[in-house]
Amino acid sequence: MVVLAASVLTKTGKVLVSRQFVNMPRIRIEGLLAAFPKLVGTGKQHTYVETENVRYVYQPIEALYIILVTNKQSNILEDLDTLRLLAKVVPEYAPSLDEEGISEMAFEIIFAFDECLSLGNKENLTVAQVRQYCEMESHEEKLHKLVLQSKMNEAKDVMKRKATEIEKSKIEKGKFQTSGYSSISGPRRSDSGFSDINISSGGSGFGSGSGFGLNADSIDSFSSKSKDRPAASAKAPPKGLGMQLGKKTQKTNQFLESLKAEGEVIIEDVQPSAVQSKSVLPPTDPITVTIEERLNIIVERNGGLRNFDLQGTLSLQILNQDDGFIQLQIENRDMPGLSFKTHPNINKDLFNSQQVLGLKDPNRPFPTGQNDVGLMKWRIQKMDESSLPLTVNCWPSVSGNDTYVNIEYEASDLFDLQNVVISVPLPALRDPPTVNQIDGEWRYDARNSSLEWSILLIDHSNRSGSMEFVVPPADASAFFPISIKFAASSTYSDVKVGSINSLKGGNVPKFSQRVQLITDSYQVV
Amino acid sequence: MEKPCTLLVHFDKGTPAMANEIKEALEGSDVAAKVDAMKRAIMLLLNGETLPQLFITIVRYVLPSEDHTVQKLLLIYLEIIDKTDARGRVLPEMILICQNLLNNLQHANEYIRGVTLRFLCRISEPEILEPLIPSVLTNLEHRHPFIRRNALLAISSIYRLPNGEQLLPDAPELVEKALGSEQDASARRNAFLMLCNCSQDRAVAYLLSNADRVPEWPDLLQMAVVDLIRKVCRANRPDKGRHIKIIISLLNSPSTAVVYECAGALVSLSSAPTAVRAAANTYCQLLSSQSDNNVRLIILDRLNELRKSHREVMSEVVMDVLRALSSPNPDVRRKVLDIVLDLVSTKNVDEVVLFLKKEVVKTQAAGESDKDAGGEYRQMLVQAIHACTIKFPEVAGSVVHVLMDFLGDSNVASAIDVVIFVREIIETNPKLRVSMIQRLIDTFYQIRAARVCSCALWILGEYSLSLSEVEAAISTIKQCLGELPFYSATEDAEPTTDSTKQPHAVSSATTSSRRPVVLADGTYATQSAASETAGVAPSVLPGSLSSIPNLRSLILSGDFFLAAVVASTLTKLVLRLEEVQPAQAETNKACSAALLVMVSMLQFGQSGFAPHPIDDDSYDRIVLCVRLLCNTGDEVRKVWLESCRQSFAKMLAEKQFRETEELRAKAQISHAQPDDLIDFYHLKSRKGMSQLELEDEVHDDLKRATGEFTKDADDASRLNRILQLTGFSDPVYAEAYVTVHHYDIVLDVTIINRTKETLQNLCLELATMGDLKLVDRPQNYTLAPESSRQIKANIKVSSTETGVIFGNIVYETSNVMERNVVVLNDIHIDIMDYISPATCADVTFRNMWAEFEWENKVAVSTVIQDEKEFLEHIIKSTNMKCLTPPSALEGDCGFLAANLYAKSVFGEDALVNISVEKQADGKLSGYIRIRSKTQGIALSLGDKITLKQKGGDH
Repeated sequence: MVVLAASVLTKTGKVLVSRQFVNMPRIRIEGLLAAFPKLVGTGKQHTYVETENVRYVYQPIEALYIILVTNKQSNILEDLDTLRLLAKVVPEYAPSLDEEGISEMAFEIIFAFDECLSLGNKENLTVAQVRQYCEMESHEEKLHKLVLQSKMNEAKDVMKRKATEIEKSKIEKGKFQTSGYSSISGPRRSDSGFSDINISSGGSGFGSGSGFGLNADSIDSFSSKSKDRPAASAKAPPKGLGMQLGKKTQKTNQFLESLKAEGEVIIEDVQPSAVQSKSVLPPTDPITVTIEERLNIIVERNGGLRNFDLQGTLSLQILNQDDGFIQLQIENRDMPGLSFKTHPNINKDLFNSQQVLGLKDPNRPFPTGQNDVGLMKWRIQKMDESSLPLTVNCWPSVSGNDTYVNIEYEASDLFDLQNVVISVPLPALRDPPTVNQIDGEWRYDARNSSLEWSILLIDHSNRSGSMEFVVPPADASAFFPISIKFAASSTYSDVKVGSINSLKGGNVPKFSQRVQLITDSYQVV
Repeated sequence: MEKPCTLLVHFDKGTPAMANEIKEALEGSDVAAKVDAMKRAIMLLLNGETLPQLFITIVRYVLPSEDHTVQKLLLIYLEIIDKTDARGRVLPEMILICQNLLNNLQHANEYIRGVTLRFLCRISEPEILEPLIPSVLTNLEHRHPFIRRNALLAISSIYRLPNGEQLLPDAPELVEKALGSEQDASARRNAFLMLCNCSQDRAVAYLLSNADRVPEWPDLLQMAVVDLIRKVCRANRPDKGRHIKIIISLLNSPSTAVVYECAGALVSLSSAPTAVRAAANTYCQLLSSQSDNNVRLIILDRLNELRKSHREVMSEVVMDVLRALSSPNPDVRRKVLDIVLDLVSTKNVDEVVLFLKKEVVKTQAAGESDKDAGGEYRQMLVQAIHACTIKFPEVAGSVVHVLMDFLGDSNVASAIDVVIFVREIIETNPKLRVSMIQRLIDTFYQIRAARVCSCALWILGEYSLSLSEVEAAISTIKQCLGELPFYSATEDAEPTTDSTKQPHAVSSATTSSRRPVVLADGTYATQSAASETAGVAPSVLPGSLSSIPNLRSLILSGDFFLAAVVASTLTKLVLRLEEVQPAQAETNKACSAALLVMVSMLQFGQSGFAPHPIDDDSYDRIVLCVRLLCNTGDEVRKVWLESCRQSFAKMLAEKQFRETEELRAKAQISHAQPDDLIDFYHLKSRKGMSQLELEDEVHDDLKRATGEFTKDADDASRLNRILQLTGFSDPVYAEAYVTVHHYDIVLDVTIINRTKETLQNLCLELATMGDLKLVDRPQNYTLAPESSRQIKANIKVSSTETGVIFGNIVYETSNVMERNVVVLNDIHIDIMDYISPATCADVTFRNMWAEFEWENKVAVSTVIQDEKEFLEHIIKSTNMKCLTPPSALEGDCGFLAANLYAKSVFGEDALVNISVEKQADGKLSGYIRIRSKTQGIALSLGDKITLKQKGGDH
């Protein structure tokens, strides 16, 4: 029930266009088409010819033949229908029904043939539909382009706004430096810009440039969605966004670059999950200070630190605007390689000299509301192995028909670690592995084929521990990379808010601070 | 398997496109120029160029283009380029296109997505497909049906790749899910087809669970259902009943295509009479409801197939088939009659003949509007009735009288058929003789054609037995001849011509008198009939001569053969009269009247008033009749009154014998092979077993059509066709075997380097003469010392003609920079590979003979002494079939004429006529004439015959 080929020939037998729908070598189709003119008799009242192996169903149009080559079992009624359609379609595309006309539009005719016969199977189409399919006018594409265009315009607007703002702040800064003190105008505007930047830089990690009017929620759902997807599709830009995106990100990047050049603090590689994990407890105190350090560590399996990266943030949340007129006294441990960066609206001199965080404009309150406002960031790099909070050793050994895997951890004295989870990838198993000995608890995740070893708390009572499990023989490399997660309530830098001073005088509002050290990713490879 | 070819585009070599021009245009930003350049690049590729440098340009400059046409052309480009290297591994640069394909699969434009998905169906490299699979799967849920349709197609073809299950392990589940929720007809069909091909169980389960709703499904899907059922029932037969139920319900589908397919499926599912009957009825319904000739003809083909396998059932629907005669198309009518005639049995013969009779009468009524077609149709009907009556003589009585009305038909061919029919019936049905003679005498005056006249006269002469019949016959003939003499004496103004002609006529009469064959009119008449009717019919001018009696007008127009027939008929009648007439005086009167007629005919023939003088044979014959009547003897009487009829009876008997012989030969074929399964009737019925073979047939059919299916000849015969192309002492030795397929020739050339040096840039250059065309361009090779290489060359053949392939091998050696050339032996392509014996009717042979333009006349020159042996030799060496029946070639008369016929694989006809005569010295002389529509065949066949006719030595 399959059409082998649809072709257009001249009356003299020259093949103008032929589209094959079934795999056949060139010599075969050429032979078939060359034989056709000899087989067509004159004065016949029917328009098909059968040979030993194939059937030609044809229709003469002016100086041409339109031919379907089918096998002999093919359904003649269907084929005739198809042929009728083709005979209507060809004049639609060819300017003249002769050799030149067809040759000129050969490819358009091939496209149309492709629509009329999907891989040789008949399609119930009208000429109008074929035309529509070939024109490829897509409403969705237009819409998509419109959206892109509007996004681009919006981005430009934002850029302009930023540029003017920065201009302004520069001028003001200059003023401030010359005249000593001056007021900052429009606190609200600077606020909105503030949060915008954070989120937009987070979004750009996806290459979607979606930093426009999106709130944290949407980013959440966005990132979680992309995580659920299979790996291959995660590589691809998300659905619904076309190839123009490259340009778009470029634009955004340019935009960011220009901002950076103008002295804006933009950390582009902020992890989206940072946003995610923030929603811990709704703060009850009027002022909450969150101090967080995130670890990115990669350790070689046979020792050696490949990568150590720590990023700290200090953020502030103020519930009432009245409590906004404050300054924070910061304390920290002195460490090599520790450097702070403050938000541009922060009075740098004040911080550098007295380690006090306060706004440049003392008449302005800190932004208030449920959102955390980042005030300060810091980084620590280049630590050595000994300062790791937790080290894990994994010893797979084959004995007989089994592989014994011994894992031990050693925690540093500096931290008490909570919720430690060590997940060891396993080779594909039918049954859960046999765990001979364990300090803590274990769980076998069949889906991801990994073994999770969890220890609720590591403190001075159990600074080291081990486990042993048995699996069928497997290569040692199958158990890597091991990934480790934990949290601790003290930080490397030991940044703390010592006290809060109210600028307006009066009672110092009550404040709480949360200090956290968490792992973004900690892998033993 | 060779690389598949997906499209062909006519390429005008007049405008050579340079690769760098194309490159420039591609690099530019003008979309129109880009489109144009892409088109040209594709055409170049199709034309055999490889353009490897263009790929990177295209990746860099065309891939990012947003224009839809450019993207589509890009897909075509990707479709036709080589994606693998010589060892079948995917080229590394192909990874570059993957990203583009991925983008296309996620494009906002649904058509770009769809077209890309469709393109994936034509890709077979898993390396390219693998990264795209997740996107293909997401497209399965796109809301636009165009995308879903194509996504399903893509999944189907990916899954069917050799490692498809690994690429898409859960494809059947996904597709099944999609099928469940799908609304679009075409997408459902694609999904269902995918299941049919990849996971039959799921397809069957889906079908059975929805069995009730199948009749409401869209026709596309129904087609797929029928296809599936056909496939499934081959494997598991227990639930065949349920499937057949579905088929039966689909027989009422509004779509005729589905109905047609169902009928086909029914036959393949079961050979139970009920199923076959249902199928046959369905076909008959379609036959009457469809007005398209193509459809009708193909349905008739199907019915014809049914007829072969299920005669009993088909004979029940004969009348339904017959109704298709209402179609005005002669091809349809002919096919209908062919089928029906074979199915005529004692049960239905009356009905059939009645119907045919009605049709004949109808042609008479309607015949005025289109005389030609009507006449042709009538002729077909007459032949059909004739065939029926031969099988069932009892029906002859009911039709013969109706038919005899058509003796005077203006369509000569149908009138001849009628008269031959009458002649046969009157011999085989003695009961009808009296009434038929009566009828013939009544209608004789209407007969206009000379051939019909002569045959009718013969009948009158042979079968008028009683006194009254004989007298009536004589008087009818006399009436038809009109007043004697044929010309008045005053018109005889030129006696001189008469006297000069006389001696000449006498002398030639003596030379030709040693031909005894002239006497029998049956077989001889059929030999010369074409020229006879063609020559005489036009000279009868019905308008001017209609008032004149028919025989007279014919004779006056110069038909002396008819005059001779009249003479012999009269002679016969008079001789018979002598037997039955008691009164001697009456006999004498009749005898003298007959003599008068003969003499006046002779006189007319020798006068100058006839268009041409009487020929020797006719003259001789009339004179013989005159002599006979004057001087009768018992011996002669016996010859005239009995032997003639006996030989006619013998001819009929022989004809019948030949027919039964053929029938028996046919029956022989269908007999069981020695290694066939034997059915034990009591153990198990074989009803319904046939679908296995049938299914294979469907499968093979497709394979054969795509050329995948080639029977491998055994190697031994292959070795016989080895051709040595160069000498043994040449630096390069080459030999080839030539395999001739239908439309192509494959040369397998083995090339051996005989030197101790490396040969570089070795190239096998071939050129052709005749209607042959090289498909590939030659490639360069490097041959290590004393190594060998196989090179394949494809040559396309487009007509039957002797072709020559010649060529040379060109190479360079390492130290000398000049090219060395070894010229190859010519390869002759034999025409005999392309023609095969075939048969055609005498009439068509004669028509073609008259029509074809090319004649090649070859004088016979042979050492063979015997005519028949010579004929055998020619038949053997030209691979043709002798159309002249063996009985006509029997006897030893010193001359022989025979027609040979063959058809080429391209459907061309080749006609050959051999006329040879044995000379006094024992040598054969004469001519072989070859006629064909095209020059090629006539020339090549002529060459072949000239070459082979010598004979004798082998």
